[in-house]
Amino acid sequence: MAETTIGTSSQDLEFSTFYVGGALCGINILNIQEINKHFDITQVPQASDYIEGILNLRGRIVTIIDLGKKLGLEPVNKDKDNRNIIVNSDDEHIGLLVDGISDVVLAKAENIEPAPSNIGGVKGKFFQGVLKTEKQLIGILDIDEVLKE
Amino acid sequence: MFEDDETLQMYIEESLDHLGDIESDLLTIEEAGANIDLDLVNNVFRAAHSIKGGAGFMGLTTIKDLSHHLENVLGLIRNKELVPDSNRVSVLLKGFDELENLLNNIDTSNDVDVSDHIKDLESITKSSLPEDKQEMVSEIVDIVLQDGRVFPQVSLFEIEQYKAEGKNLFLVEYDLIHDIQRKDKNPIEVLNSLQKTGTIIDSRIDFDSVGTLSESAGPNRIPFQVLFASIIEYDMTETLFDIKKQYIHSISDDMIVSTSVTDISVEPAFMPSKEDQKAASVVVEVPEPERVLTPPAKPVIQETQKVKQSPSKEEKEVTISAKPQTSLRVNVGLLDTLMNLAGELVLSRNQLLQGVNSSNVKATELSSQRIDMITSELQEAIMRTRMQPIANILNKFTRVVRDLSQQLGKSIDLVIEGKDVELDKTILEAINDPLTHLVRNSVDHGIETPMEREQMGKSGTGKIILRAFHDAGQVNLVISDDGKGLDPDRIAVSAVEKGLISEQQVDEMSEKQKIELILLPGFSMAKEVTDVSGRGVGMDVVTTNIESLGGIIELDSTPGKGTDIQIKLPLTLAIIPSQITSVGNERYAVPQVNLNELLRIPAAQVKEKIEKVGDAAVVRLRGELLPLLNLSEMLDIDTTYLDPQNEDELPDRRQNLADRRSRQNIITEDGVIIESPDQEKEHPKSDDPKREENDRRYHARSAMNIAVVSAGAFKYGLVVDQLYDSEEIVVKPVGRHLKKCTAYAGATIMGDGKVALILDISNLAQMAELSSVSEAGQIAKAAEEEAMAGKDKAALLTFKNSETEHFAAPLNIVERIERIQTSTIEQIGEQKVVQYRGGALPLYELSQVADFKALPEREQQEVIVFKIKNRELGLMVTPPVDALEVALDVDEGTLKQSAISGSMIINEHTTLLVDIFEMVKILNPGWFKEDAKVAAEMAESGEKILLFAEDSAFFRNQVKTFMEEDGFKVIEAEDGLIAWELLKERVDDIDIVVTDLEMPNMDGFELTKRIKGDPKYSHLEVIALTSLASEAHIEKGRKVGIDEYEIKLDREKLMKMIRQKLNLTK
Repeated sequence: MAETTIGTSSQDLEFSTFYVGGALCGINILNIQEINKHFDITQVPQASDYIEGILNLRGRIVTIIDLGKKLGLEPVNKDKDNRNIIVNSDDEHIGLLVDGISDVVLAKAENIEPAPSNIGGVKGKFFQGVLKTEKQLIGILDIDEVLKE
Repeated sequence: MFEDDETLQMYIEESLDHLGDIESDLLTIEEAGANIDLDLVNNVFRAAHSIKGGAGFMGLTTIKDLSHHLENVLGLIRNKELVPDSNRVSVLLKGFDELENLLNNIDTSNDVDVSDHIKDLESITKSSLPEDKQEMVSEIVDIVLQDGRVFPQVSLFEIEQYKAEGKNLFLVEYDLIHDIQRKDKNPIEVLNSLQKTGTIIDSRIDFDSVGTLSESAGPNRIPFQVLFASIIEYDMTETLFDIKKQYIHSISDDMIVSTSVTDISVEPAFMPSKEDQKAASVVVEVPEPERVLTPPAKPVIQETQKVKQSPSKEEKEVTISAKPQTSLRVNVGLLDTLMNLAGELVLSRNQLLQGVNSSNVKATELSSQRIDMITSELQEAIMRTRMQPIANILNKFTRVVRDLSQQLGKSIDLVIEGKDVELDKTILEAINDPLTHLVRNSVDHGIETPMEREQMGKSGTGKIILRAFHDAGQVNLVISDDGKGLDPDRIAVSAVEKGLISEQQVDEMSEKQKIELILLPGFSMAKEVTDVSGRGVGMDVVTTNIESLGGIIELDSTPGKGTDIQIKLPLTLAIIPSQITSVGNERYAVPQVNLNELLRIPAAQVKEKIEKVGDAAVVRLRGELLPLLNLSEMLDIDTTYLDPQNEDELPDRRQNLADRRSRQNIITEDGVIIESPDQEKEHPKSDDPKREENDRRYHARSAMNIAVVSAGAFKYGLVVDQLYDSEEIVVKPVGRHLKKCTAYAGATIMGDGKVALILDISNLAQMAELSSVSEAGQIAKAAEEEAMAGKDKAALLTFKNSETEHFAAPLNIVERIERIQTSTIEQIGEQKVVQYRGGALPLYELSQVADFKALPEREQQEVIVFKIKNRELGLMVTPPVDALEVALDVDEGTLKQSAISGSMIINEHTTLLVDIFEMVKILNPGWFKEDAKVAAEMAESGEKILLFAEDSAFFRNQVKTFMEEDGFKVIEAEDGLIAWELLKERVDDIDIVVTDLEMPNMDGFELTKRIKGDPKYSHLEVIALTSLASEAHIEKGRKVGIDEYEIKLDREKLMKMIRQKLNLTK
């Protein structure tokens, strides 16, 4: 698994940012396998409600999670901006369905502040921290926490 | 201990390889006895020896000691100083087992106490030696070099043995740094090459002379000492060992110094200090390039040498360590094939790309064909790499059976057949335990002791056959023994005692079902728990294991004769043939192993075939009630939940779905996931007409597709929307978030790239709590049967004349049902005939004999062929023609007319019972002329009087009529008791008794018993009339003395029998 810790070094970190339920979130770019827009998703009846379904990604079965639902926000609104962010976790590819993606943001580790207990309605435990940019706040997701069953 | 992982790993692998064959070799040696096969003994000897050689160098003292002692015994056997009898071989076998165990747990091997093994081995060694030499066996000596260094702890016995063979002893000191590492060698290889010219007695790293890191010069030499025995003279050694002469010491007797330590097994002789270990590992820790090449090169040698080798090696790992194997030996030839195929695939891909880029359709087509072909070949080749001969696990049973039968004092021959049948490695690993259990069971419970066997007239030696063979794309494994078999009744009693089933259930069980009770969890027959079996955790675990592999287990046993256990396994788990089905717009795969049959109920019949028992739907399939599970119903709830688009509309939808669910359980179109607006529009449309129906069963507007599946004992119908082809699918694991969705066994990727879920049939049944459904079904069935029990049952054939006229005729007088083309019917005068089996079959229809409608005109005509008076005739009818078993509740009055004996309600239709006999009589009076004559004659020659007991007025009248028509006089009785009274009064008049079996007050059995039990009446023949003659009934009847059985509505046969019994000829 790629590193998810945000160290104290002043090294530059890159975050891929995206919108989900109106909030801007980021994931360390090193955690991301790819971002795609395959939506030929097979429903999985009886799975948890945040499971969007499963997808064939070049021969691998990838579970797609509706990140909005998982974070307790509005479910992702299906439109042309939707993307799957495929992350690698425990030797498994998992897709996060998001409303749309935004820029890659460069930041220094020390600029990331601890997450408050609640960011825009999302529990603080899902975040590693928040990054304040000139325009807005980016919640940096803790992938391990988000992908917990 | 030595800490270079790679060298150590190599040593372990090699050693395990050496051990691979040993078991079977030893068993062969044992069989041969004094008649020693030197090659085999040498094989085993060398194995022990090589293991010992490496162990010394690795610092694996326990392994070294043990293998050393094994080697001693083997050496004696080799020199024919010892006869390998069964006890000695047992000790050796145990020793090698322990050795393997040690090798598999190398980290803790030095802490294992093997003194028992060593003691046993030593006592064998000693026993073969003359008194004066016995002491030597456990004597340990040190070898002291001229410079004062010591090579400690060598067995004097061994040294003496080599000296006796005329070999020279050397102590060769390699330097791990200069002689080995710098020359790109590795210690194991050095040892191996030395083995070619002589024998390594011992090897070690002399850490004492390494010095410490703090010394100024640093460690520039790590002596690796090998004590070596060879016929080679000292002069030649320099060239041979490729090291300077100063490091080769010839060992003379005076260098061998006795030590006081004698008990080597308890005290590990040599443990390097931590520091030393580090030093050693630093130096040797260089990966050798050759290493990479060695493993693939091996199998080839092995395959040519001996096929058994790699097999048994694997089996060991399976039995001894629970860890699944992580590496696999693959034939190099197969790897080459794979490589070639990969090459071809790349070429074809290039062609395909070119074709696509240049829009060359022809080229694209060609290359896609090639790719198709290559893929299949590739798939097959890759599968082959996973396939392992079943001999891997079967072979070890020789040992298991040998050991167990010795332990239990039984004599058993094990025959193994079909060793080269191949199975996927995963399956092979997984069936090992269940199979071991079954074989142990056979030995322990199946085969009797020689004494018992001889008493039963069997040969004293039992026989267990392990047979593997391919059948219908599956691997079959049969374990049969000729032992005492399973006693179904004892099993049933045991099961009842343990509270696993009720006595009532037992009554309904067949022998086979009773036997299969032993597969229930918690079942045990053993009176006492033995070492071998009887803990009550057994067969159910076996069943679970086998079922989890997609296999099936079946039992068959004859008490006194033996037991057959048959296991059917899929060839592989990775690719499985499956039936593709769909519900909504998703496809689901049903593994073929679970699939029994496919059932399609046409829309018109859905209403009559599907019944409701409580809340559950059942379908009647060949007389059995099959619970139905509606996949769409199980899945749609969650799907709707899942669909985020519909989140807002959820309550609305749910109501809608609930609505639909109660009326119609099959959703033909996408009724589950509503994504597009036009589909939504469709729904009201398709729903409206359905809502009008006030039918709480399945709606009858579409045909119903059912996959009849079985999961273990459960059999149920899975209702799906569509049934597609059967396809081979590749099972892919699903992610961890879906692990708790037990309804799926995995997922697969379909031809169009979409993912389809694979259904887990047994979990689905559990989820649906089908057990209760099936119980409900059974209760309903039982209740129904009970209701029927009081009445007479009869097998009827139902058919129609015109669409609305329902008829039935007794099934037992029906010969066949044929479908003919209407055009082939010929009209001859008034008579319709059809050419049939070389003759003309007269055809009739009901409208000819009674006031019914004429048959509707159709292209095809269903004809029921009856046989009466040895002549066949056909009755033309309108389908559906169906066979039923019903309780006869006949109304003889209301709808009585010619050729109709009465009416009853069958499946909610008033159904007329056709009296075929009467019909034929009307149509063909000529056929009966002879009968009339016989009847007349009989009446003349003095009447024969029949006593006829029958409670059903319908049957009483029917049977009485045709008896009288044949010239008999009939005394009627309404039940057994009346018959008995009548008989007492008129015993002298009555010639024969005909009785129904099931009657109130006194049944036919009791009546017969009384007749046969009283000398006054016992001369009377008793013919029993039944509607359904079951084996159990017949048996019961025979016991009380019933002479013959006849079926009620089979007039001809009954009359023939009566005549025969009364010695009347026609």
